[in-house]
Amino acid sequence: MTDVQLTLFALLLAFVIFAALAAAFLRDILSAIIAFAGFSFGIALVYVLLRAPDVALTEAAVGAGVTTVLFLLTIVRTVRPGGDRLFERIKWGPAAVATVLVGVLLTTVSSLPRIGDPNSPVATSEVTRYYLENAYPQTDVENVVTAVLAAYRGFDTLGEAAVVLAAGIAVLVVLRKEVYV
Amino acid sequence: MIDLLTTHYNYIASILLVGIGLYVVMGSPNLVRKVIGMNIFQVGIFLFFVTTGYVDGGVPPIVGHTEGPIVSPLPHVLILTAIVVGVSLTAVALALIVRIYNGYGSLDEDVIKEVQVDD
Repeated sequence: MTDVQLTLFALLLAFVIFAALAAAFLRDILSAIIAFAGFSFGIALVYVLLRAPDVALTEAAVGAGVTTVLFLLTIVRTVRPGGDRLFERIKWGPAAVATVLVGVLLTTVSSLPRIGDPNSPVATSEVTRYYLENAYPQTDVENVVTAVLAAYRGFDTLGEAAVVLAAGIAVLVVLRKEVYV
Repeated sequence: MIDLLTTHYNYIASILLVGIGLYVVMGSPNLVRKVIGMNIFQVGIFLFFVTTGYVDGGVPPIVGHTEGPIVSPLPHVLILTAIVVGVSLTAVALALIVRIYNGYGSLDEDVIKEVQVDD
């Protein structure tokens, strides 16, 4: 990876983490939601740099778009707690737990293959090789992600559609107008 | 350690995002912000998966037009499914939050607990 790309990556990741921290600590919930939308968009750009255009499009449309609208609809129907302070107070108990988790996970990083390693287990996997070689001849679809999603793992996608249907029904049932006791 | 920052930066970022997400889910009293934290946690894991598929100098997994290494499509497929499922989860959680607000008149978990004790 070239230095320019590395710098771009570093800037984007710094922006993403900064936006996540803003979403975590801004006192005003509307500001937190806007920070979260920026966070989703930043992560979509990271996916573009990782050569995952399908994931980037989905994240930008669904993560930055639909999720933000859902959050905004929620605070329209509930409250937007404000206050005089700009930031939330740090709670030390949960912060300690999260720090321990981060510390433990960081010890595993050095045993992962470096980013972009052509000999990493994922890149050399039999499954990866099979899909890249056979997706076009077998399904006539040039985009391998689409081919895998719709053909090889079609039942998985059907299950995904079932989850979305179930979620839609659940939302309708939960929000059904009735006389609250 | 400095070497790791230049070769494993995405993994470190995804671990930090998981940490931030866990802190928000546990530490924030506001239910809407807890859902935001859950989303941040998820994105940390998505970033980890997509990073594992990346190959130096790779092109997007669209075959037939370019030579050279192609990034692995498998993590992309799994994460596409996970993103959509994550949005479904968020939608149901937010619907439950609206309903909780209608019942308790607050989004603060401490206030909700007090109302429950009073009942």
